[in-house]
Amino acid sequence: MTTEYKLRRGDGKRIVMTRAQIMEDLRAGTADAAELGSIPQLTEDELDKLADILTAPGRMVGVEEGMEVPVTHDIGTIRLDGDQGNSGVGIPASRLVGMMFHERALGADTMELGHIDYSFKPVKPIIAQEMQAMEVCQQNMIVPLLYGAMPNMGLYYTPDGPCENPGDLMKAFKIKEAQDSTMKAAEHLTRDMVWIMQRMMRSGADGVNFDTTAAAGDGDFYATLKAVKTLRQEFPEMFIEVGMAGELVLGMHGEVEYDGKLLAGLWPHEQVEMVAKAGASIFGPVVNTSTSRSSPWNLARAVTFVKAAVKASPIPCHVNMGMGVGGIPMFETPTIDAVSRASKAMVEVAGVDGI
Amino acid sequence: MTTADTAKIELFDAMTSVKKDRVLAAVKDARSVMKPTEIIDALAVGMQEVGTRFERGKLFLPHVISAADAMNAAVAVLDKDLPRDGAGKQLPSVVIGTIEGDVHDIGKTIVSTMLQCAGYDVHDLGRDVPSRTFLDTVKEHDARLVGMSALMTTTMRNQMEVIGLLKEEGLRPKVKVMVGGAPATQAWADKIGADGYGENASIAVRKANELLQVGEVTQ
Repeated sequence: MTTEYKLRRGDGKRIVMTRAQIMEDLRAGTADAAELGSIPQLTEDELDKLADILTAPGRMVGVEEGMEVPVTHDIGTIRLDGDQGNSGVGIPASRLVGMMFHERALGADTMELGHIDYSFKPVKPIIAQEMQAMEVCQQNMIVPLLYGAMPNMGLYYTPDGPCENPGDLMKAFKIKEAQDSTMKAAEHLTRDMVWIMQRMMRSGADGVNFDTTAAAGDGDFYATLKAVKTLRQEFPEMFIEVGMAGELVLGMHGEVEYDGKLLAGLWPHEQVEMVAKAGASIFGPVVNTSTSRSSPWNLARAVTFVKAAVKASPIPCHVNMGMGVGGIPMFETPTIDAVSRASKAMVEVAGVDGI
Repeated sequence: MTTADTAKIELFDAMTSVKKDRVLAAVKDARSVMKPTEIIDALAVGMQEVGTRFERGKLFLPHVISAADAMNAAVAVLDKDLPRDGAGKQLPSVVIGTIEGDVHDIGKTIVSTMLQCAGYDVHDLGRDVPSRTFLDTVKEHDARLVGMSALMTTTMRNQMEVIGLLKEEGLRPKVKVMVGGAPATQAWADKIGADGYGENASIAVRKANELLQVGEVTQ
């Protein structure tokens, strides 16, 4: 009788597959990424290695000795305090306590201070509080401490912001007006992100993490690249991490360019070139998980994209691994079997510099 | 000299260029060698290609909308020559919105726009929409489908509430329900008794067509 292995589907459901079925899905997954991104497929040896990782008997796996990489957490500041609604565990703890736990007990190599709203715009009215929090945290912590938030350009559109919502304009076939509104929102966003980070740097921050960049599409990406460039010029030594929102930059504007390159439709290996050129220190590639496909399909696809990004990147790549990204199922609290396997694959096959 | 074959190629190329002027010029040329229904069919093939390129990240939302705008303009030009039985047939009403407590609407807007481009009568309620508003709008427009988006695990449970309200009001048998958003999955749709789930905008439109038994239209 053929041996069967317990694996996961992209929505977290348990599935059972033979090694032959796993190999078939691995090949299909890498082929999908290769076709979409015009990048090389993984080799048969690499696919065999992924199959070995997926079928390893232990409930969780780890990287080989000597291949350890730095790890960091975006939501670490509120991971303990938050409830299940934001992936926390509901233990009352301040942001400082949350970060220090990650630094001293949970093995995080860098951390970030972030506010519960976790977007740049809502930080503006509470900047004094955030500056004070950064200063106190820096006095207590050793690991590099960044300030983290999402660019989240959607907050600059009506009804939250001053710019007309491009979605509404486009539905009325007002394409030019929608594009103009996107660029106006991008100006506001760049200005706010720079303003906030100038103040956080004065409070002792080691740098910034732009988290879920390009969530609102190519305009959001453009605004972030401009902010990176401005900050790099003003603070040559600061750490700037740019993590993406998804595998593809959505073309909500469709024609916006940065440094002569169209931003819409860029895949991770193309995104990183722009991010590095703007002056970032670390790139966080994202590959989305398909909830209807198996973990072998998703993992091979994610590793293919990330491997290409690592190869193209002149700066370290710290891959995003978590709920619904990096070959990990879309699950509120992703299971350790899936998380550890996907993470090992990213380090040992894709060659990432960190997670 | 324009033949039916060359006209078809130009209609396809014009549609995939997503330029309204070029589409209208192609339609004008094609009218001498093709019937209006054949011209619309040829444009629909081009529109399908636009949808495929959107799905593959080669074309983007503004391009899809420009193509839909061009398609509408072309159909308006041809309308008076179309056989009356099927001319200008409107697809069913659809109500769509991001669920109460959730302000994320970019994904929902893409789906909403794609449904509109596919010919549905879309009533987009925006974001942070109270459950009762979904119900009232369904009644007001005699909608056949409700689409609900949620980006957060904390808000997605409100999708269940709308389904409950539709049941309470006796509307559930005639109104299909689709759910979407980052944390939504087919398993979630099954769990709360929704009829469908779309992993992306293109799949959502296909799923809506299936649920409402609408043939491939301009999508």
